[in-house]
Amino acid sequence: MTQETLNEEPAAETQPLGEARTPDPDGRIPVIETYGLTKTYETKTEDVHALRDLNLTVYQGEIFGYLGPNGSGKTTTIKLLLGLIFPTDGSMAIMDSESIGSIHVRRNIGYLPEGAYYPDFLKGEEVLRFYGKLYGLRGRALERRIDEVLEMVGMTGARRRLVGGYSKGMRQRIGLAQAMISDPQILILDEPTTGLDPIARKEIRDVLVKLRDEGKTLLISSHELLEVEMICDRVGILHNGMLQTIGALDDLLVQRDITLEVEVPSESAVHELSRFGIISEDMVDGKALLRVPANVSLYEAIEQCQHNNVSLLSVRPRRETLEELFVRVVGAAEENKEINQV
Amino acid sequence: MTDESVKKPQSTSDKLPGVVSVFTLGLGAIAVYTWREGMRKKTMIGFLVLSLLVIFGAWFLTAFLQTGGAQVDTELDTKLVKDICVTAISIFGVLITIFISASVVPGEVENRIIYTVLSKPVRRFQYLMGKFLGVQLIIIINLALMGGLFFVNLYIQEGILPTLLLWTIFLTYFEFLIVSAFTFAIGCAASSAVLPVIGGLFIYITGNLTEYLGDVARRAGQTEAFLDVAIGWLATGLYNVLPNLQNFSLRNQLLYLQPNDPPADAMIPQMVVYGLLYAAAGYVIGYIIFRRKEL
Repeated sequence: MTQETLNEEPAAETQPLGEARTPDPDGRIPVIETYGLTKTYETKTEDVHALRDLNLTVYQGEIFGYLGPNGSGKTTTIKLLLGLIFPTDGSMAIMDSESIGSIHVRRNIGYLPEGAYYPDFLKGEEVLRFYGKLYGLRGRALERRIDEVLEMVGMTGARRRLVGGYSKGMRQRIGLAQAMISDPQILILDEPTTGLDPIARKEIRDVLVKLRDEGKTLLISSHELLEVEMICDRVGILHNGMLQTIGALDDLLVQRDITLEVEVPSESAVHELSRFGIISEDMVDGKALLRVPANVSLYEAIEQCQHNNVSLLSVRPRRETLEELFVRVVGAAEENKEINQV
Repeated sequence: MTDESVKKPQSTSDKLPGVVSVFTLGLGAIAVYTWREGMRKKTMIGFLVLSLLVIFGAWFLTAFLQTGGAQVDTELDTKLVKDICVTAISIFGVLITIFISASVVPGEVENRIIYTVLSKPVRRFQYLMGKFLGVQLIIIINLALMGGLFFVNLYIQEGILPTLLLWTIFLTYFEFLIVSAFTFAIGCAASSAVLPVIGGLFIYITGNLTEYLGDVARRAGQTEAFLDVAIGWLATGLYNVLPNLQNFSLRNQLLYLQPNDPPADAMIPQMVVYGLLYAAAGYVIGYIIFRRKEL
């Protein structure tokens, strides 16, 4: 699989309504598709382009990381998909329907907004009962589902406490529970691990992976790049309302740099090596990891190690982190913008 | 990705009930939630407590006058109590109506609950209807509390079941219903509660001055001066469009008739229809605004 071509005309656009989408050549079934999706806000002074010509496909059974700096258009996309705002141009399809506001589509979507408020005067289980009823759930089926989702997010013990007494992390968990209350096929989560402690993050990550393994599709908008890198199958990076890159993490995170594993060097050696662009990254169990950037030759790096009496243990290619990819992509987009402005 | 993972799994959403059931359950849930939330609003509680204090205070006032050795004029005392209580119910009732109707929709946009609700299988019509019904529940409960205390007060004083008061409270609700519907409609367009509160007060005040607007409309235009004609047009327009809230008032009858007299000259069924039609118009305007509102 290669990095997907951006802004190409999607073939699925002509597919008639009501028919199940056919898998693509890789056997993937698209569940969220946008075609040239554009959102422009008209103000008195100028038009603000929140989203420009977005062509995005999210496939069934994957966790898709939707990334971008603040104000890049992530929340705008999510609001468009949920029918909370309306596109200036372009179209969308969710599952087998292009009618985004339809009840059928919304029955199959669970949404966790960023920083949502849940009524302080309700107990945790009452919040879920309220949202469950909006899906038409009632009686034993609703109570059973409330038990299940509370268990999944680790809130069973706090179910009878008022939301007003919840910590930020507990509110986030109850938010995730309300998104899952109808057991939807698609989950759209805006910053799902914000405010959670490391253990809770791990638990929520495990829940999300479990949902993916059950065949659910997850679109996660997040600034927690390490979390995204750990669980996402594919990512898309948005900047200035334009999709800058999209694809599987394995394809996007290139192996450009080299990691040298060495015995812990002296401070003077580290200083000397840094003059040649070799970066000391980590020290574990008497070993140190040195990063050799792509613009430094491996031959020269090894020679410098020998010259500074640093014992070399191993040499291996180093995969770029998602954070580095993010900075690289956003940085390049900024540079292009400046060039275009000049 | 394996073949297994692309199979459409069975989920709760596949087993969900039909559209009608979803609609009514959702509508009820939103209405009850709105009612529960509204009854906790500090502004609402403040107005309700004040009104109850005034009604209770009026009772004490007459009791004090009667035990203070002053020349007792029972009829006058009763009129005083009635006047104070009717005024308290009108003022505090309409303030509660306006503040609650103005804040339900903008408040939910502000705290983002609306995102979680409208991303569920909830139609905007259904959402608004649920909110509106919740607001009506709050207004009815408040009126019942205020009217109930007044009823007991009057019954103790006069020893006769004051059925005329029940008709007064009943028609007052329809007056509040109209004010509530238009305030709610303005709230659908606004991003905060300030504008709808001002709008609600404007509707209540001008709605009670409609007769005067009619007079202005009749008298204006006689000089054919531009300003005179313009005022005439404006007054005629407002007179024809605005509801006449004075039609709902049985205040004078309550003050001067016997407490168990039937309401005189009041076309109650017609007034109910009049109130419902205006309320429906207000709701429809709100829906038209909200239908394509960007959230």
